[in-house]
Amino acid sequence: MMSLKPRNVDFTETWAHLKETVAGVVGLRAVERSVWNTRFSDVYALCVAHPEPLADRLYDETRNFLEEHVAGLLQRVRGAAPLDHNDHNDGLLTRYVSAWREYSQGVAYLNSLYSYLNLQHVKRQKVSDAEIIYGSSATVTCPEHDARQLEVGELGLEIWERVLVKPLSAALTGRIVRGLAAARGSAPDPAFASTLREAIRSTVQVRAFRVRAPLALYQALVLEPYLAAAAAAHAQLAADLLAAGDVAHYTTHALAGLEREVALGARYLDSSSAEAVRACYERAAVAAHLPTLHATVPGLLREAAAEPPASTERRADLRRMYTLLRPLGPAALRPLVDAAHAQAAADGQALLAQTHSKDEAHTHFVNAMLTLHGKYSKLFSEVFGGAQAFVGALDKACSAVVNSGGAAGSAPELLARYCDCLLRRRAAADADVDDKLAAAIVVFKYVDDKDVFQKYYARALARRLIHQLSASMEQEEAMINRLKAACGYEFTNKLHRMFTDVAVSADLNAKFQQHLRDHNLATSTGFFIQVLQAGAWPLGGAMAPLAPPPQLERPARQFEAFYRNMFSGRRLAWLHHLCSGELRTRYTARQYHVAASTAQCALLLSFDAVDSWNARELRDTLQLEGDAWGRQLRPLLDAGLLLASGDVGTEEEEIPPEARVSLNLAFSCKRTKVRVTCASAPAQGGGAGGGGAAASDAGDAAHCDDDRKMYLQAAIVRIMKQRKVLRHTELIQEVVSQARGSFAPSVAMIKKCIEALIDKQYLERAPAALDTYSYLA
Amino acid sequence: MSGEDCDAFDRGDNDGQKPDKMFTLKKWNAVAMWSWDVECDTCAICRVQVMDACLRCQGESKKDSYGKQDCVVVWGECNHSFHFCCMSLWVKQNNRCPLCQQEWSIQRMGK
Ligand SMILES: [Zn+2]
Ligand SMILES: [Zn+2]
Ligand SMILES: [Zn+2]
Repeated sequence: MMSLKPRNVDFTETWAHLKETVAGVVGLRAVERSVWNTRFSDVYALCVAHPEPLADRLYDETRNFLEEHVAGLLQRVRGAAPLDHNDHNDGLLTRYVSAWREYSQGVAYLNSLYSYLNLQHVKRQKVSDAEIIYGSSATVTCPEHDARQLEVGELGLEIWERVLVKPLSAALTGRIVRGLAAARGSAPDPAFASTLREAIRSTVQVRAFRVRAPLALYQALVLEPYLAAAAAAHAQLAADLLAAGDVAHYTTHALAGLEREVALGARYLDSSSAEAVRACYERAAVAAHLPTLHATVPGLLREAAAEPPASTERRADLRRMYTLLRPLGPAALRPLVDAAHAQAAADGQALLAQTHSKDEAHTHFVNAMLTLHGKYSKLFSEVFGGAQAFVGALDKACSAVVNSGGAAGSAPELLARYCDCLLRRRAAADADVDDKLAAAIVVFKYVDDKDVFQKYYARALARRLIHQLSASMEQEEAMINRLKAACGYEFTNKLHRMFTDVAVSADLNAKFQQHLRDHNLATSTGFFIQVLQAGAWPLGGAMAPLAPPPQLERPARQFEAFYRNMFSGRRLAWLHHLCSGELRTRYTARQYHVAASTAQCALLLSFDAVDSWNARELRDTLQLEGDAWGRQLRPLLDAGLLLASGDVGTEEEEIPPEARVSLNLAFSCKRTKVRVTCASAPAQGGGAGGGGAAASDAGDAAHCDDDRKMYLQAAIVRIMKQRKVLRHTELIQEVVSQARGSFAPSVAMIKKCIEALIDKQYLERAPAALDTYSYLA
Repeated sequence: MSGEDCDAFDRGDNDGQKPDKMFTLKKWNAVAMWSWDVECDTCAICRVQVMDACLRCQGESKKDSYGKQDCVVVWGECNHSFHFCCMSLWVKQNNRCPLCQQEWSIQRMGK
């Protein structure tokens, strides 16, 4: 039984017994349970000995013993082999691992035999871990050699490192590095693999108890020498690969090499080294060859951009190239991103330049852009995993191509025409109009001058609405909503106002008909009116004067009276050049329906009572001034509805006094519906044609400028209302960022707008601060 | 349209030489444009066209479902006209017409 009472102990005698058992434990020889218990008590007895505790002496003797023991092990491990040839198969590593297995286990047992000493004697002296880490114990400057006592197990490990590893360090390092190099080439036999792994792990385990730099030995002995050797090997590998074949050869093998290296590290090295192993490879095998690799990139991209399957291999090369370059950071990727941009931009220009029919310029443009965008979105997501840098490169390329301005017209114009064609009523139903319109937004987002697009779009929308050419109001509205989603409310404000007018007009017509019934007035069932608000509709061309005959005049007067009653403060102007009518002939054997402009209807209706007019008289009665006379009359003559005697249709010269126009009573035509065309008025897009935009481009530019100023002023008021006081540069920044959705404003223009608002007393220069404005409520 | 008697524009009250009209007007798609009945298209206070919303209303981007902005016109007894919004703010400082300096009183509001 163990006695707890302190007593006199003879150190020499007790240590002699204890030492025997310690030797047995450290040598992993069997120790009987009773002997173990007795020695356990001996340790206790020495620690609590009276009159003087003998713990320090025990500790010193134990250290001396272990030092001697490990010195013996060193001889065993070293063996007879010469140390300097570094043959990893010479058995030294095997002997080292076997000694380590035995010793590390034995020391662990010893640690429990000395439990009391560890607990009572060592722990009390031990500087707390926290103190070491946070340095509150100022005396500890170098924890490796600090004065504190180690637990016996720790002491054993420290002795192992000092007595055995240190003299062998060069030999161990050499063999481990050689062994790993061999393992990279081909898998070693399992026994050696596990020896290698254990030898490496021992360098971690021997310091595992340390708080500071527990991996220092592993790093010095294994990791650093290994990485130095590996870097040289990787550099050689990369040089060989590049010398041996093309870039495909390189990327394939370099990537395989990376995987092999990472696997090797995971298998043999400490898990903390994974990143260093990877980085070492990337530096030596990839980063060192960047100029060579970058030089191949443009060609690689060009070939990868071809249609699969021809490009399948190149795409794989490019993907591997990206995988290799990506970890090296943005600078290493930059040439790849630049090449991606250049390739997409060049391809876009090529697509635009493909031959196409002039009439289809808008379709060609939009399709080319969609092809470009679709192709490279897919390619970049396939090859670069849709990385943001490449999405950005594609955006940049698309926007450069879209706004490059071709011979066929500007992007805003072509895109607006594309939308117009899709939104018009067509003979054959087109099933994917909605998809095509949605796709048009993809192109729209790249258009710089969105406000110019808005002008073209608004003009086309006005034509569709006024002449009722829209295929469907749902589609119209859906498209406006798409534009609104892309660009905001202000962008579509006027388009919405046009829509409002159409809805309000439908309501007005119903109320007007009701009004006529209520007052027992003639019900003008064929009369339909659209009342547009000035300012919202982009209607080119001057209003053509016309004095309509009574048949047209009467409903107009009735409506005016009705309208005056409903609203106040409003003025109504008739836009005869936008009106149209349909007449039915009553003097012909067959009935014909004649669709014509208002002025043409007026001309025909003038023959209700007389068959023949003096040309000058007719013109003056209807007040068809200038070229309007010829423009309106000519198609009626061409259609054969009216007959001329004498020169009636002259443009410039005065009509001869004797010239007459008469109704062709013998009119006949194959079809019963006769559509009389009307030559476009100058500077006005015409009812059905494509655009007629070129003529008024200069006017557009000026108009656009005014609108931009208005937009900027509204933005400045909005910003200042919210911020109250703002510095000049900040205000400019905010305005630019708000306007970005529509156009890129110049600073000069913004400055002018600020000045204008100061004049209008919306803003003032803040009296106290320089370059600062404040809002005047 | 079902028949002759429904024809709207058929009823000339002059009995001309001919018993029959030569044409029947079947359809007339008329287009007219309204604007405020003002002497000057521009509001002298905010210098924006009176048909457009005033600068403040544009800045606020009031959105109703039709995109209509409720920024009407007001006429004074002097017959000068402005955005109602602009004038309401103006008279708080100075109850005179900014154009003719007459005392401001409302003649009518646009509707
Ligand atoms: Zn105003
Ligand atoms: Zn307003
Ligand atoms: Zn006035």
